[in-house]
Amino acid sequence: MALKINYNIIAQFSSIPLFLLLWQWVSDAEIVNPLLFPPPTRVAEAFYRWATDGPLIMDVAMSVSRVVVGFTLGSVVGIFVGMLTGRYQLVASLLTPIFGILRPIPPIAFVPLVILWFGLSEVGKYFLVFWGVFFTVWIATHLGVQRVDQTYIRAARCLGTPEHRMLSEVLFPGSLPFIFVGLRTSVSIAFYTLVAAELAGAFSGVVYRIDIAQQNLQIGQVMAGLLILGFMSAITDKLFSVITQRIGWWE
Amino acid sequence: MKFLKSLSSKKSQLPVVSEPQMKRGSISARDVEISFSNDKQNHIAATNINLDINAGEFVCLLGPSGCGKSTLLNAVAGFIQPTAGTLTQDGQAITEPGRDRGMVFQSHSLFPWKTVLGNIMHGPLMSGQSRSNAEGTARTFLELVGLSAYANSYPKLLSGGMKQRVGIARALANYPSVLMMDEPFGALDAQTRLMMQEELLKLWDDLKISVLFVTHDIDEAIFLADRVIVMSASPGQLIADIKIDLPRPRNSDTTLSLEFLEFKRQCSLLIREQTLAAFEQQH
Repeated sequence: MALKINYNIIAQFSSIPLFLLLWQWVSDAEIVNPLLFPPPTRVAEAFYRWATDGPLIMDVAMSVSRVVVGFTLGSVVGIFVGMLTGRYQLVASLLTPIFGILRPIPPIAFVPLVILWFGLSEVGKYFLVFWGVFFTVWIATHLGVQRVDQTYIRAARCLGTPEHRMLSEVLFPGSLPFIFVGLRTSVSIAFYTLVAAELAGAFSGVVYRIDIAQQNLQIGQVMAGLLILGFMSAITDKLFSVITQRIGWWE
Repeated sequence: MKFLKSLSSKKSQLPVVSEPQMKRGSISARDVEISFSNDKQNHIAATNINLDINAGEFVCLLGPSGCGKSTLLNAVAGFIQPTAGTLTQDGQAITEPGRDRGMVFQSHSLFPWKTVLGNIMHGPLMSGQSRSNAEGTARTFLELVGLSAYANSYPKLLSGGMKQRVGIARALANYPSVLMMDEPFGALDAQTRLMMQEELLKLWDDLKISVLFVTHDIDEAIFLADRVIVMSASPGQLIADIKIDLPRPRNSDTTLSLEFLEFKRQCSLLIREQTLAAFEQQH
């Protein structure tokens, strides 16, 4: 009986090892300057030293805390304001023009101002991440609320749902699928703004360490830092896709 | 059939509503006109509506599609206000939707994020009942529509007929004195529809509440109603009020009786005239 070979699975499992081998070979063969393009073994070595002798855990913890705090604040406020603007035309008329001006400004552009306002404190970093997250979550919630099927609202009114319960009972659950798209998008925005916040001036953090390593020409650590960032971002995204599937259980 | 059996055996547990305190649930429309206006024109959906529904009566509003019968129902529900005339329930002007007038929609409109039980509990919870009371009420009505086994399922798992039963249970859980139904069985297949009609009559017989039922299906209207009100093509007006004195309880044999066919002939003529009129208006 002939064994059926699944080439896709083989390709999938050999993808990363092949990439590492190619990388190792390119560096070892000195096709490029190995100082600027260290092989994976040196990156691993740099990572190991960062983890054992260096402040890796502290750096990761600081970066994660900035993302978590800024993201949580931005999402909570974004969902809250989005519910109000989505439901009440008056609130929308009042706020939409302001948000229309502020929203297109890239959060990174606020770095100079934030340094003046908050110095190099953590508050400034939270603020930048918050700023990036808020508008995305707000607009997703706003649109989500407006797209809630009208018959749900009618049914709820017929069943005697008071207006203040309408938000929590119907509009919030009804717009959850939209809100989660907004949250997932804004997770990556949170990481973008984190980079800007830490480059602009910090005393710890993964991106801060990348910046320092670059100044010392420790390219191995720079690359290790990049991989850590990618890893953090990917884990968060994966987390969100799992939660999103759970949230849309009724779909 | 299983449902009907369970109903008769559960009769003793029925909600107290079956003992009407005072006869409530009468609806009265006086010279009601409903129109919609956009930038350019004024569209009259229904005009010159005079109608009295007595407490506990089953009234079907029959008319060709687009005649404004759903609009009229929406006004009785309180979703829209008449542009002229008065609309009252038990003497009180109808200004907004309320728990005393339950509604069953054509698209079941169950909250997809709540379980079947959660959907039925919604009304009682909103009226300030405790969770355990609300759950008790919900389970009573869930049993009444024969779906106790599906208490914890989400609506997406139910068939069309089951969804509508949950929709009916949800509307009834508020103990309304009027039940409004907007072509609730229109999307169901013929067999399910017949079964649902019989179940509805059984429920109505037990609960003794007024029902205002909108449909374009002549057989359905005659089978269910005490009175069939026929509505004309746009602008909708009431052109006939036919008392259906077929004996109750009614079953599938009812639809084969001579009297039934005579009512059907009468309604068909009226509806055909109106459909033709509507057709000519559009062409």
